[in-house]
Amino acid sequence: MILTPERQQALADYLLALADDELILAHRNSEWTGHGPILEEDIAFTNIALDEMGHAKIWYGLVHKLTGDDPDRLVFFRDAADYRNVQMVELPKGDWAFSLLRQYLFDTAETARLPYLAQSSYPPIAAAAAKIRPEEIYHLRHTQSWVKRLGLGTDESNRRMQNGLNDLWPYAQQMFAPLPGEDLLAAAGIVGAGTAVHAAWLNVVTQHLTDSGLQIPANDQPPTNGRANHTSHLDALLADMQLVARLDPKAKW
Amino acid sequence: MNDTQWPRYEVFQQDKPDKPHRNIGTVHAPDAEMALQNARDVYGRRPENYNLWVVPSEQIFSKTAEEMTLDPGWANETVPEEGTAVPFAVFTKSSYRRAMTHVQYVGEVAAKTAVSAMQKAIATYTEGDPFIWWICPLYAITRTQENDIESMFAPAHDKLYRLPNQYRTVAAMRKIKRESGEQ
Repeated sequence: MILTPERQQALADYLLALADDELILAHRNSEWTGHGPILEEDIAFTNIALDEMGHAKIWYGLVHKLTGDDPDRLVFFRDAADYRNVQMVELPKGDWAFSLLRQYLFDTAETARLPYLAQSSYPPIAAAAAKIRPEEIYHLRHTQSWVKRLGLGTDESNRRMQNGLNDLWPYAQQMFAPLPGEDLLAAAGIVGAGTAVHAAWLNVVTQHLTDSGLQIPANDQPPTNGRANHTSHLDALLADMQLVARLDPKAKW
Repeated sequence: MNDTQWPRYEVFQQDKPDKPHRNIGTVHAPDAEMALQNARDVYGRRPENYNLWVVPSEQIFSKTAEEMTLDPGWANETVPEEGTAVPFAVFTKSSYRRAMTHVQYVGEVAAKTAVSAMQKAIATYTEGDPFIWWICPLYAITRTQENDIESMFAPAHDKLYRLPNQYRTVAAMRKIKRESGEQ
């Protein structure tokens, strides 16, 4: 596989999208730290958030290899318009059902994507996927266990889960919207084709959500397919996340 | 104080295949599978981890040497023994030394009731002169499997930042205290 300039640009964009999704979701979920529904779950969910931040670090590292961009600069000194995450991960944390379902929908998407990345013709991606995959197996075990218990739990837990799913379902589809140049990468065996990943994901989540007593919402049109488009929630999140780093950009950590 | 949360599970951790499972604490969980996951997240964050067991706390029958001295007739309260014997896991504690304060797995006995299992356990596992005994039926133990190691425990090897020895806080705190004139 030869990394032509077109492929290199497309790959950097693809990896930045992966990294931004992981980072923003991790930051959102860190808002549950100290506020989880029960101590054990507070720790479990914080662990997952930390893992996702670790995955973001890995993907930013690969972006750096391709573009020379400093990961810390990418994280702390980009404004919302330059972030490439999907809108789903920037939405406020909502109630516990919402945050848990969002993590589940994200974990299943990662799990659908990783087998392709593990076989990438670009070796750094294959190595990164191999490292990330065991953690995702556990995340999914945890979130799918909770989806089932809350979906089949009480009337209230089922209602909250269904409300969360109704809100999240259209947004979740944006995770699979093709990026510019993604077809070039898929054709070169660098990443999986978005349509194949989407189909695999849809199969898995439809089965599990249905088994968990939840209805798949009819509305599956995401508010946007462009990763440069964000809600105002991202501005607020970045203001919080970047505050300290921007106080003194030259500080050594 | 009443515990109004989910049922409690005792957590037993095994560092290496040749080491015994040791009781390292408890978790709350709605069922055994979630207890195993919670045990992993609460107690399995350090790199040393090979296997975890969880047991509903209400399934553990325990006796201390002190209790038995105060109530020598404890074994007389036994219920009639019926049915077939089932295997029980036996855990003991034999030391107050700081590194060995855990109740740890020592073996198994077969019995028809918890009381007779306890009597057999006390008679069988005398090494180290134990003063606390726990038993539970084997069927009450939920375990992680060999193929869980990769996703549940192995990733911790790359997360050394979780270990306190990665942070020079002790020396830094001493310095701060010294400079501020505290002892």
